[in-house]
Amino acid sequence: MSEHGRSRWVFPPWVNQLRVVAGVALVVIPVYLVVLVGFGASPRTTDVGYAPEQPVPYSHALHVGQLGLDCRYCHNTVEEAAKAAIPPTQTCMNCHARIRAASPKLLSVRESYATGMPIPWVRVHDLPDYVYFDHSAHVRRGVGCVSCHGRVDTMEVVQQVEPLSMGWCLDCHRNPDPHLRPPELVTSMDWVPPEKPEVYGRRLREQLGIRPSTDCGTCHR
Amino acid sequence: MPRSLKYALAVIAVLALLPLALVAKARVATSPRPRVHLIFDMDNQPKFKAQSANPLFADGRAMRLPVPGTVARGTLVPQEVATGRKGVQWLEVIPVPVDRQLLLRGQERYNIFCAPCHGYSGYGDGAVQRRAERLEEGTWTPVASFHTETARARPVGYIFNAITNGVRTMPPYGAQIPVEDRWAIVAYVKALQRSQWATLADVPKEVRPQLEVRMREHDGTR
Ligand code: HEC
Ligand code: HEC
Ligand code: HEC
Ligand code: HEC
Ligand code: HEC
Ligand code: HEC
Repeated sequence: MSEHGRSRWVFPPWVNQLRVVAGVALVVIPVYLVVLVGFGASPRTTDVGYAPEQPVPYSHALHVGQLGLDCRYCHNTVEEAAKAAIPPTQTCMNCHARIRAASPKLLSVRESYATGMPIPWVRVHDLPDYVYFDHSAHVRRGVGCVSCHGRVDTMEVVQQVEPLSMGWCLDCHRNPDPHLRPPELVTSMDWVPPEKPEVYGRRLREQLGIRPSTDCGTCHR
Repeated sequence: MPRSLKYALAVIAVLALLPLALVAKARVATSPRPRVHLIFDMDNQPKFKAQSANPLFADGRAMRLPVPGTVARGTLVPQEVATGRKGVQWLEVIPVPVDRQLLLRGQERYNIFCAPCHGYSGYGDGAVQRRAERLEEGTWTPVASFHTETARARPVGYIFNAITNGVRTMPPYGAQIPVEDRWAIVAYVKALQRSQWATLADVPKEVRPQLEVRMREHDGTR
């Protein structure tokens, strides 16, 4: 082999610096990956903030925030059933047969009313099908809509504000105190407890005998 | 270290920040794009839930409507309770027991379903009425007040029927409000009407002195 060729197989002195680089990389890369996957794959990143475009530019900020409609005017099954029903077109037509009756924004509402075909609202919140969730169990015991859906009365477009992960459900089932309120005030968006939420909620919990279950069978049945 | 290697390392370090920046953005911004969903498990099972879609039916609804003229099990109530009339006559007396519980329920339901138009005190000045006035909607009919002579003379069956089937230009609320709640609302409307025409004689003896003090402070008359 030639002189030149042999030197190709000898590490030059700067390679020693790579040991430092490799050492740093050995520490930084795992930390980096943990942070990236931990934050990147968390439902707070992938799910929270989902705000699909709806077929009608219906605004909760207008109807709830300004006109002061109660959630139950439209989502009228929320206290009795597992599902908070999305209102049928008839509910919109209660008012819109006469208010903004010619508005182009309401064209598909009128079309749906005339043809009987439902408005294809896009689901915002969607638990996996193997999870059992029940609105009435929460609303009747005094967990406010705002605890799980945020300030809907300020939303032009509904968005998901909570991760809806199992950890999130369990956090509250283990310690519901800060989220409890008198059951008749569940739809109030700006209610604040008269004293520290933990203290007030604890009193309510003891008074009403609220004990959210953490057994697997509660939510997986 | 050769320059090129240094540059390469620097570029890698900068590129490595990019995913972090994207994650940070996803955490603060809202997005209309479908959620990132890496592992499907059994999240979407081939079954129908309430209000889901089923392409087998012409209207696309998985939930079917009851056949017209049928009554679901357990929901049959006496004819008078369900219609608010006996034969062709409006009922004059509420056909369910009226107690404090029913009135409180009625108040809550009234505030949810009626107050937007009729107003919390029933004068026909709810938020929707006021908004319609401001918008000068030509198609809107002013909401009726419950405190006119005619309205006060209405039998309870008439009010019940107004909720169930609507009245003139008022829309029907029968689909949104169950029968018991409709009677609770009727009871509360009657209480509202009475409250606006009450005299001191309507108030229980024990609380009268309290009220007399308040009234004197208020305007000195009566
Ligand atoms: C005038 C009727 C009306 C009222 C009042 C109303 N909503 Fe809605 N809501 C709708 C309609 C229609 C949709 C479906 C379209 C959409 O998502 O914007 C909806 C969607 C929602 C959703 C998202 C559902 C999903 O797909 O996951 C939530 C959460 C919600 N509403 C909460 C509330 C709360 C809380 C209140 C009371 C503060 C309220 N709504 C009052 C009509 C109403
Ligand atoms: C209790 C009465 C009421 C009900 C029920 C109601 N709305 Fe409205 N809505 C109003 C009023 C009043 C306005 C007009 C507000 C304004 O423009 O100041 C309005 C405005 C709107 C607008 C904007 C129209 C425009 O031209 O700017 C849309 C879209 C709309 N509503 C959709 C809906 C849908 C969809 C539903 C059924 C889920 C619904 N509304 C139910 C009272 C109602
Ligand atoms: C304990 C948390 C919690 C509370 C309190 C709560 N929700 Fe929900 N809501 C959820 C979850 C979780 C879903 C998704 C359900 C699913 O995918 O099956 C949901 C879904 C919805 C939907 C979409 C339809 C459905 O049922 O899937 C509407 C509308 C809604 N909620 C309205 C309300 C209203 C109005 C209130 C207050 C009266 C309320 N929610 C209180 C957690 C909550
Ligand atoms: C903000 C607090 C809170 C959150 C978040 C929450 N829960 Fe609950 N949950 C409660 C309370 C309070 C009860 C009522 C317990 C009682 O009645 O003693 C309850 C009851 C239930 C019940 C009824 C249990 C029974 O005995 O029938 C089910 C099912 C349930 N929760 C499922 C869920 C699921 C699934 C989630 C997450 C998507 C969730 N919950 C999130 C507070 C919460
Ligand atoms: C308060 C309600 C609740 C209880 C109690 C509960 N879970 Fe869950 N579980 C959920 C929800 C909500 C999800 C869906 C999470 C998601 O979408 O990321 C879930 C998801 C899961 C999954 C699937 C995870 C995946 O991503 O594939 C498993 C496995 C599971 N739960 C096991 C259990 C076991 C075991 C227990 C009892 C120790 C339990 N769960 C108790 C609400 C609950
Ligand atoms: C969308 C607005 C709206 C809502 C909500 C509403 N009403 Fe009405 N109501 C009207 C209007 C408008 C009239 C007047 C109709 C006319 O004269 O053409 C009326 C008239 C009436 C009348 C007839 C008065 C008479 O003497 O003939 C009764 C009774 C009545 N409403 C009861 C109710 C009750 C009870 C509720 C709650 C369940 C309710 N309304 C909810 C708009 C509404």
